[in-house]
Amino acid sequence: MILLLAVLTGFLVGLGRAHWQNQAYTVPGFQSVWLIVVAFLPQLFMAYWPVTRHLFPDRLASAILLASLTLFLAFAWLNRRLPGMPILIVGLLLNFTVIAANGGWMPINPQTADFLTGKDVLQVMNLGDRFGEKDILLSAQNTYFEFLADRFLLPAWLSYRTAFSLGDVLIGLGAFWLLAKPIHKTNTMNTKGISA
Amino acid sequence: MKEKFARFVLLTSKVNRQHIQLAMAILALAVLVLGIGAPGDAGIGPR
Repeated sequence: MILLLAVLTGFLVGLGRAHWQNQAYTVPGFQSVWLIVVAFLPQLFMAYWPVTRHLFPDRLASAILLASLTLFLAFAWLNRRLPGMPILIVGLLLNFTVIAANGGWMPINPQTADFLTGKDVLQVMNLGDRFGEKDILLSAQNTYFEFLADRFLLPAWLSYRTAFSLGDVLIGLGAFWLLAKPIHKTNTMNTKGISA
Repeated sequence: MKEKFARFVLLTSKVNRQHIQLAMAILALAVLVLGIGAPGDAGIGPR
């Protein structure tokens, strides 16, 4: 959800800038969009869709996640010249590194998970269990590249609780920049056309 | 009924190819960040 917020904010900022400068808003000209579909579909079934995600054994699901990230990396590399995409690629590589080093899952430590759920997760789960969509519950001592894991939290005064990684931060920044400051001259659109 | 139909036609005529391209680009980027990001949300909880 937090990353979708970055996309939405980038779009609104880009639209606002274009409107303020009385220029046409430009759409990022992605290449090979089919790669996104092919990369995401396995994740949809093994991580996001509640009906199917429990059907996947953990080892198969982690292998699928790594394969999916590889396809996403290919897509990002093909579109590396777009503004913001280099930042997004670095974020993807950081997430890929920590996920690959920890058995194909994004590690999250019990203390962070406690904060998210509001209860002691170790009373209902064991270390090494899947947590949420792509995470695995691991103690910080047993986590490779722990500084790249889901360890950052939003301020406590926000009611929305989420943990995110350094890679997620860069992915959000890259996505924001991609929509807030596009450079492609093709597929242009007047902002008045959107608001109408 | 006729008026409603006329309003619908007017609305859809404003949705041109560029609007669809814009929507597709944003959708593609949204799917991309969902696919490569891995934040843990409170709403998900233990599996």
